[in-house]
Amino acid sequence: MLHLSILLWLPAALGLVALLVPARSARWVGLLGAALALALSIVLVLDFDASGAPFQHVTDTAWISALGVRYQLAITGLNVWLVLLTTVGFTFTAAWIAFSDLGVHERAKHVVLHLGIAQSAVLGALLAQDLILFVAFFDLMLIPFFFLTAQFGNGDRVPATIKMIVYTLVGSLLMLVAAIAVGVLATPSGESVSYNLAEIAQRGVPEGSQGWLFACFAAAFLVKMPAFPIHGWLADGYRAMPLPILAVFSGVLSKIAVYGFLQVAIPLLPQGTADLRWIVLIMAVVSILYASTLAFTTFNARLVLAYSSIAQLGFITLGVLSLRPDAASGSLLQSVNHGVAVFGAFLAVAILSRRAGGSEDLRDFGGAATKAPIFAVFFVIVSYAVLAMPGTANFVGEFLILRGAWEGAAPALAIVASIGVALAAVYALRLFIRSSHNRVAPTLEPREGSRVELALMAVPVLLIVALAVHPQQTVDAADHATSRAVQAAAVSVGPEHVQKIVESDPEVRGIVPPSVFSESDPGRVSAAAGGAGAAGGGATGGAGEPAIDPNTGQPVDPGAVQVDPSTGQPVDPGAVQVDPSTGGEGGTIEINPETGQPVDPSTPNEGAGR
Amino acid sequence: MSPAEAAWIVLVLPLIGSIVLGLGFKRWSGIGAGVVGTASVGLAFVFTLVSLVSMLGREEGQRQIASSLYDYVKVGGVDVRMEILVDPLSLVMLLVVTGVSTLIHLYSVAYMRGDQGYTRFFSYLNFFVFSMLVLVLAGNFVILIVGWGLVGAASYMLISFWYRRGTATTAGIKAFVINVVGDIGLVLGVILLLRHTGTVDFLETFATAKETFGESGDGSLTAGLLLVMVGAFAKSAQIPLHTWLPDAMEGPTPVSSLIHAATMVTAGVYLLARLHPLMELSQTAQTVGMVIGALTLLVAGTIGLVQTDLKRVIAYSTMSQIGYMIMGVSAGAYFASMFHLATHAFFKALLFMAAGSVIAAMASEQNLDKMGGFKKAMPFTYGAFVIGGLALAGIPPFSGFFSKDEILAVIGEQGGAYWLLYVAGYVGAFLTAVYTWRMIFRAFWGPPVEQAKELEGGHLYHAPDHRNPATGELEDTGVGFPGPEHHIAERAPAMKMAMGALALLAIFGGLLGIPKVLTPLEHFLEPSFESALHHPVHPGGGLIVVGLVLGTIVGVAGIYVAYLIWGKPLQQGEAATVNSSRWQERFAPLHKLFLNKWYFDELIDLVIVRPVRWLGRFAHDTFERLIIGGGIVGGTTGAVRGASAVVRRLQGGYMRTYSAMVLTGLAVLLVSFLIAS
Repeated sequence: MLHLSILLWLPAALGLVALLVPARSARWVGLLGAALALALSIVLVLDFDASGAPFQHVTDTAWISALGVRYQLAITGLNVWLVLLTTVGFTFTAAWIAFSDLGVHERAKHVVLHLGIAQSAVLGALLAQDLILFVAFFDLMLIPFFFLTAQFGNGDRVPATIKMIVYTLVGSLLMLVAAIAVGVLATPSGESVSYNLAEIAQRGVPEGSQGWLFACFAAAFLVKMPAFPIHGWLADGYRAMPLPILAVFSGVLSKIAVYGFLQVAIPLLPQGTADLRWIVLIMAVVSILYASTLAFTTFNARLVLAYSSIAQLGFITLGVLSLRPDAASGSLLQSVNHGVAVFGAFLAVAILSRRAGGSEDLRDFGGAATKAPIFAVFFVIVSYAVLAMPGTANFVGEFLILRGAWEGAAPALAIVASIGVALAAVYALRLFIRSSHNRVAPTLEPREGSRVELALMAVPVLLIVALAVHPQQTVDAADHATSRAVQAAAVSVGPEHVQKIVESDPEVRGIVPPSVFSESDPGRVSAAAGGAGAAGGGATGGAGEPAIDPNTGQPVDPGAVQVDPSTGQPVDPGAVQVDPSTGGEGGTIEINPETGQPVDPSTPNEGAGR
Repeated sequence: MSPAEAAWIVLVLPLIGSIVLGLGFKRWSGIGAGVVGTASVGLAFVFTLVSLVSMLGREEGQRQIASSLYDYVKVGGVDVRMEILVDPLSLVMLLVVTGVSTLIHLYSVAYMRGDQGYTRFFSYLNFFVFSMLVLVLAGNFVILIVGWGLVGAASYMLISFWYRRGTATTAGIKAFVINVVGDIGLVLGVILLLRHTGTVDFLETFATAKETFGESGDGSLTAGLLLVMVGAFAKSAQIPLHTWLPDAMEGPTPVSSLIHAATMVTAGVYLLARLHPLMELSQTAQTVGMVIGALTLLVAGTIGLVQTDLKRVIAYSTMSQIGYMIMGVSAGAYFASMFHLATHAFFKALLFMAAGSVIAAMASEQNLDKMGGFKKAMPFTYGAFVIGGLALAGIPPFSGFFSKDEILAVIGEQGGAYWLLYVAGYVGAFLTAVYTWRMIFRAFWGPPVEQAKELEGGHLYHAPDHRNPATGELEDTGVGFPGPEHHIAERAPAMKMAMGALALLAIFGGLLGIPKVLTPLEHFLEPSFESALHHPVHPGGGLIVVGLVLGTIVGVAGIYVAYLIWGKPLQQGEAATVNSSRWQERFAPLHKLFLNKWYFDELIDLVIVRPVRWLGRFAHDTFERLIIGGGIVGGTTGAVRGASAVVRRLQGGYMRTYSAMVLTGLAVLLVSFLIAS
């Protein structure tokens, strides 16, 4: 049994250790810390049981008892792969720094320390199961980046940092207020306040207040992402940040905002989500188009990636706010994919910039592939991942997202968003061609990547290939958790929305009564009574997990004794009773002896036709 | 070995070849890379034969074999398996793809010899074959899209193979982006179909198609198919998504031969044939396919008449021939279209190889105006070109004669408005014969040009300097091009062998399907099209005879017209351009229209490219600067300016103090947590 606190605090602890060692070795301590955390997170991923308890490796202690704030950590299907992405990203950055100017900077210790703190904060935000703890870590994770940018950045770093601070501070304050309000409003009179996320979700926040609370959370997350039109800090911030830091900032931190939607805003504020999601959805689609056009008109290589990041996060947000389990799983997969691709892309920009005398202007690039065949191949693979080429896992993510948007939001949104796919091809290939192909620019001296450069670049490339060959493991882990996360909000959107989800997947997995936060809870109801039919909608299959009733939106409780409403007698176990609340005809339903599925006489070619 | 097992091996071999070539790129010397690349594809062909034999050993009812390895993605009720479908249809494609690929690899062993990127070329080419096989063997829509995307990527890499040439990289991104537009259509179409069928699996989709969509289909089926057809049209260069194909001729000639003639561009035809159980349920989708195919074959034929770039003429010809196939497959002429796909692969690959030989002899000059009189210098190439030209023009008994007429006969048999298509098909056939023989006369007849004379004297012509044929720009020869060692088909045995084999196929390929006499291909394909509504549309004997006679007359007439315009004057020692400029003057407006390719490029530029660029610039210069920088965050930026002034003064000390505070706080937190837990 692995204690999550170890994983959580290890990077910060080694960051502190780095202060004690000679300046020259600080970078290796940082790398060690990141690598150890990576090893731990790999163990966690391997150990994760996708169909097991919703909360695994639980840590739960009192923190600020007077306020009801607890120190609660857990691995869930939502965060397990993001934790791995985080540790991979920070290890990548630590290794990169170890071999870059920052690693031998006179204040390299500070770099290592800040990165350690940042990593712990990111892991904290991911693992936290207490709302206040989440907010604390969410805010903490930005602070080290402010210092890193202000102290080690390029150009107008101080104004850029301040701009970032002002923007994110506004968001953070709104979120803090909203978080406290959520906890207090959800507390029934006479009971003590709890900030446990599952507990709040179960208690429920009064529907009247959910709108403004959702708006506050959404503001914080959308600024962090960022989304159009609140991306004002991005260009300056990206320009100022040192590249190795930027890689992890863009690859990992923006994903925490997406995670915030899935972990906090959507499950706690289902009605608010349902009411206001269109605003976010439209912002997401506009972000995709707007940022893509920016990306292929700018000549700054970093900004191409910065704007591409806005566009990709637009896709991911689109998937999450479609409020479908499959789209949300696709978004999580896409978060991992995009993170990995971004690591490679920023490294490629750094490698190119070295050959162009420090310039990052596309007009100073050109012909870098000459004499650099390996680098060029790596770069083209990364570019393919950025543009979500079919064959990469990015494509799988995008497919699930577009399908989700089509089904869960509106076909028009999916169609408009898909224009962004074509634009992505333009800006990603433009970056590749203008830097690596065409004539060798007079300002660029083409040469093959050094061993270190190529070894670093190989990491994202190999991960892209691995994810491409087998994207399923990421989706698998997320599957149950995303169902739980969007369940209540999907119900709030309306029965039609739920109906569509159940229609496309009669075995929507992982829906559990939202009551539990305990290690021992198996997280699912016994399969014994599986097979309760829901008239008109989907039928639960033999998957052993209860389905959502499409009419009431409540989980069908297969454990309940089935009573025939007309006779009052318990129903013959051979026949399955329709849940009375669905307004079914009340007749018994035959079970197909071969499949164990209820046979619905009215629609012989039922549902998804699998 | 079962057909599916063999097919998996077929699929993997070129991938292994590509990786082995790529990883060892520094080690390969001489023609090593070429031999390995050819061997991997050749071996794939052998295993395709194994699969074929194994398939023939099965009952006809059991010739559809799906085989999956693992769950690629399984979420939200969609189970996408890593799955292949081996049936007669995919097997025919496999045979064409691996067979023609092997010959083109063999050709390239010699053709690309002088190129600096020799190993890279074969690694890419193997990767392309792998991608194409994924596309062909895909057992469900998602894997199909994966193959679809990968061939696009491979095509892009090979179009911009000479990547220091600005025109090549531009052509590459153009091809890629148009193909991505097609991919998007395909993806959205699949999403729409999936929502009704609940599965992405081909066999499951087809089995339930009628129940799901009804006998006559419904609106969503039509919409889904039209979206899918956007993908098919982009990949197969049909109007209006065709503009990338002529530009793709920037790639090395074997690439044009393999990807942009024989295999990848026919993927749209294969897709529509694969989806025939759905297509048949939607009259609208079928009509759209037929009309677009017919328009493409006419438009491309007219453009082919006036272009002067040898490879581009053949590219327009490819477009036009695929127009026939798209028209045919949409009209229910499945066997005929697949038959034409196969014979076209043979003779078009052959034509490109012969063209490559000429281009090499011209030291990479592609302009027809500068060619002439190669007949004596290169008799073998001339022979190959003539065989390809006869097959393309549909002269009996060459392969193109039977396959094209079969398509038109099936269309004509259906009567009514189909007669329009029938007529369009024969008008197109006339144009085909004219532009094909225009090439032959202008390149091979008449007084030999300097290059031809030098070759007759036993020397290779070397240009004083390499210039980009499109722009006249001086080339950066560091990336290759036919260097001092460049080969022409006359001299290199490997090239001769490849061309010889294709020439035989172009001559005798017709034996795969002589109507009513010998129809092995049709018989073999039957299980794949068993459910076809139009099955069996067998044109009556009368129509077949009429078609064969008409086809012959039209083809011969076309060649005769070409002879009158170009052949005869050349024979009489006149310059080719003299007589043709007389014709150009007579039809000046038409000539201008054709020469400018019906202004499709300009139209797309005006409607799409420019507005998008303008939008980007507007976003940058105006929106970002004013709204984001000034309006929305006017307050914040003001605050930022003020605060940053303060901070700048305090910087250093301020930051460090703050840093120390955060640090201490964290340390306290850390310790307290560790103790508490």
